[in-house]
Amino acid sequence: MTKVTRHPPGEIIIWLFIMAELLVFGLFFAAYAITRIDNIELFELYQQNLDTTAALYNTIALLSSSYFVIRSVIAIKADEQKNAYRWMLLAIVMGLVFIVIKTDEFAHHIDNGITLSTNTFYMFYLSLAFFHYLHVILGLVILGVLARNINKGMYSSKENSSVETGASYWHMVDLVWLILFPLVYVM
Amino acid sequence: MSQGFTKSMARNIFYGGSMFFFLLLLVLTFDTVKSLPQTDNRENLTEQVAKGKHVWENNNCIGCHTLMGEGAYFAPELGNVYKRMGNSKEAIIAFIKFRPKNGIPGRRSMPQFNLTDDELDAVAEFLKYVSEINNQNWPPNIQG
Amino acid sequence: MKHTSQMVAKPYFIAAIALFVGQILFGVIMGMQYVVGDFLFPEIPFNVARMVHTNLLIVWLLFGFMGAAYYMVPDEAETELHSPLLAKVMFWIFLAAGVVTILGYLLVPYATLAEITMNDLLPTMGREFLEQPTIIKIGIVIVALAFLYNIGMTILKGRKTVINLVLLIGLVGLAVFFLFAFYNPSNIVLDKLFWWFVVHLWVEGVWELILGSLLAYVLIKTTGVDREVIEKWLYVIIAMALITGLIGTGHHFFWIGTPGYWQWWGSIFSAMEPIPFFMMTIFAFNMVNKRRRQHPNKAAVLWALGCSVMAFLGAGVWGFMHTLSFVNYYTHGSQITAAHGHMAFYGAYVMIVLAIISYAMPMLNGRKAANSMKAQVVEMWSFWLMTISMVFITLFLTAAGILQVYLQRMNGDASLPFMVVQDKIEIFYWMREGAGIIFLIGLVVYIASFFVGRDQPEAEMPK
Repeated sequence: MTKVTRHPPGEIIIWLFIMAELLVFGLFFAAYAITRIDNIELFELYQQNLDTTAALYNTIALLSSSYFVIRSVIAIKADEQKNAYRWMLLAIVMGLVFIVIKTDEFAHHIDNGITLSTNTFYMFYLSLAFFHYLHVILGLVILGVLARNINKGMYSSKENSSVETGASYWHMVDLVWLILFPLVYVM
Repeated sequence: MSQGFTKSMARNIFYGGSMFFFLLLLVLTFDTVKSLPQTDNRENLTEQVAKGKHVWENNNCIGCHTLMGEGAYFAPELGNVYKRMGNSKEAIIAFIKFRPKNGIPGRRSMPQFNLTDDELDAVAEFLKYVSEINNQNWPPNIQG
Repeated sequence: MKHTSQMVAKPYFIAAIALFVGQILFGVIMGMQYVVGDFLFPEIPFNVARMVHTNLLIVWLLFGFMGAAYYMVPDEAETELHSPLLAKVMFWIFLAAGVVTILGYLLVPYATLAEITMNDLLPTMGREFLEQPTIIKIGIVIVALAFLYNIGMTILKGRKTVINLVLLIGLVGLAVFFLFAFYNPSNIVLDKLFWWFVVHLWVEGVWELILGSLLAYVLIKTTGVDREVIEKWLYVIIAMALITGLIGTGHHFFWIGTPGYWQWWGSIFSAMEPIPFFMMTIFAFNMVNKRRRQHPNKAAVLWALGCSVMAFLGAGVWGFMHTLSFVNYYTHGSQITAAHGHMAFYGAYVMIVLAIISYAMPMLNGRKAANSMKAQVVEMWSFWLMTISMVFITLFLTAAGILQVYLQRMNGDASLPFMVVQDKIEIFYWMREGAGIIFLIGLVVYIASFFVGRDQPEAEMPK
C-alpha cells in the first residue's frame, strides 16, 4: 500500500497568499462589524440603499462559477482537455456576469454622488466591495491564463497543480463574497 | 505530479501583486485628491496664506518644529499654535519677532529671522489657516 | 574581481564612508543641542545641523547604492560596465553638488540660500529631507539618469539575472518617485500627500527592492546556495514589500487633512509591512545555515545577517508599534517616531551598504576574497559597537517618547506643554547622546579596519 501524502490542492505558496488575503479581509470584516455596533442606525439606514437583488444574482454567479471551475479541474484530471477548457470558459463567463452587475451597482452609486467620504457605512461598503471586485478581476485573469494553457494542452492528469492552484484562489474569492453578502447586505 | 513553487510563479506574483496594488493606490489617491475640498480649508487659502507657506519654507521652520505632526521634534507642534496662543495672530507674530539674536542661554533657541512685517503677517495667516484644516481631530489636546 | 570596470565602485564607497562620518558628527552635535539647547547657537542652529545630518545620510546611502550597482551589475551581467568614464565623471559631479549643498546649509542663512539659488522660480525648498536648492535637485536627477543609463545599458548587453533586474526596478523607482520632490503646491495638504510619494515609496517601497537584491547578491556570493532558490525567494520578498507597502502609504495619511478612510486602509496594510522584513531575516539565516562553503569574509556575512535582524526590528517591529491609527493618534510626531526612524534606517539601509562594502572592498583593494583576519576582527568589533549603541539609542528614545506622549497628550487637564515635557525627559536625551558617542567610536573603529592588517595574508577557511 503506498502512503498518500495529504496536502491542500495546488502549490503551498498560494495557500500562504490565501491565508494573507483572508487575514486582510477578515480584519476589514471585523472592523466593519465592530464599527456597526456604534453606528447601528446609520448602517441600517444606508444598508437599505443597497441592491440586494443584484447581490443575490452575484452570489449565484460566483457560486456557479466556482462549480464550473471544479468541473474543469475534474476534467483535466481525467485527461479531458476539451471539456476542461469548456468548463473553464463557462466559469469565466459567470465571473464576468459578476463584474457586469457589480460595475453597474458602482456606477449607480457614483451617479448619486456617493464616495468613500460620504459616511462611515459607505466607506466600509465601498472599500470592501471594491477591494473584493479587484480580486474578482485578478481571479478572472488567472482563470483566463489557465483556460489558454488548457487549450494549449499544457495540463493533464499528471501535470495539473497549476489548475488546482488557480482554482483554490478562485474559491477564496468566492468565499469572501459569501461572507461579504450576508454581512453587509443583509444583516 | 507537482512542479513545485517555481521562480516564474514567484515572478508573476511580484508583477501581478505590484500592479494590482499600484492601481489601487492610484484609485484611492484620485479619490482623496477629489475629496480634499471637504477637509483642507481651501476656501481660506488666500494669497497671503500661500505667501506665508513660502515664508515657512524659506526659513525651514520644519527643521525644528512639527506641522500636523510632521517635521522635527526639537520645538513644539505648530499646527494648532494659533489656537494654543488664544486664537491670536498678534501673539504668533510677537513671538517670532522678538526672538533674541543670540538665543536664550542654556535653552533651546529659535533664530531671529529678521522677517518683514508682511512676512510675519503672512506666516501667522498660514498657521491660522493650518489650524482650521480638518485633520481628524489631531492633536489629542492643545499642547500639540 | 572579474571585470576591471568594477573598480569605479571604489571612489563611491570611499565617499559614502566619508559622508557617513560627517553625518554622525552632526548627529552628535544635534544630540548635544537636545540637552544644551543653545549649543553652537546661532552659528549652527538645530535646523541647520539637522538638515546636514539627514541630507548627508541620504547622499551617502545613494553613493553606497551606486557603488554597489557598479560593483555588482558587471559581475552579474558578466560584462564590463557600459561606460566607466561616465561613472567617474558623475562621481565628481555628485560629490561636488553634495559638498556645495552642505556648505550652503552651513555658511549662509537658509532664506539667503533660497534667494541666491533662485528658489522662487520653482520653489521646492524648505521641506523635510528635501531642503536642497531646486538647481541641486535638478542636478540629482541628471546624475540619477546618467547612472540609470549606464547600469541599464550594461544589463542590456549582458546576462539579465533576477538580481540585476530587481536592483534596476528599485533604482528606476527611486528616480521616478524623486520627481515628486518638484511638486510643491500652496495647498499644504496636497504638499504633504505627495511628499510621502517620495519618502514612503522610497524607504518603504522601492528601496526595499534595492535592499533585497543587494542582500541576495551578498548571500549568493558568501554561501554558495543555489541561485534559483535565492532568486525565487527574492521575488516573494519584494512582492510582499510592495503588496503591503503601496497601500501602507496610508499610514502617513491619518492626520494631515486627508479623508478618514485612510485610518482603516493605512492601518490594515501597514500592519503587514513587517512581513517582508521577517521573510528577509528567515531568508538570510536559512541561506547561511544551508551554505555549501565557508566564505573567508566572515565580516560581510555578519553585516548581512545583522542587517536582516536590525531591519526587522527597526523597520518591522518598531514600525508596527506605532502604525495602527488608534496608537498613532497619540504617538504621531513624538520621540517614538525618532526612535523608529533611527533603527529602521540603520538596520535596513546603513547596514546593507556596509555589508556590500564589506564584501566588495577587499577585492577592490586587490585581495582575492577577504581581508586579513586581523582587519576582519576589527571590522566585526565596529559592527557590534555601532549596532548595540544604535539599539540603546532606540531604547532611550522610546522611553523618552512613551513618557512624552503620556505627559503631553494623555494626562487630561494635567497635560503639560511641549517644552516642559522636554525638560522632564532630559535624562533620556543624555543617555542617548552617550550611546551616540559610542556609535561614533564604533564608526572610527570601522574606518580603522580598512587600515589594519593590510600587509597580513588574507583569511582563508580550512579546506
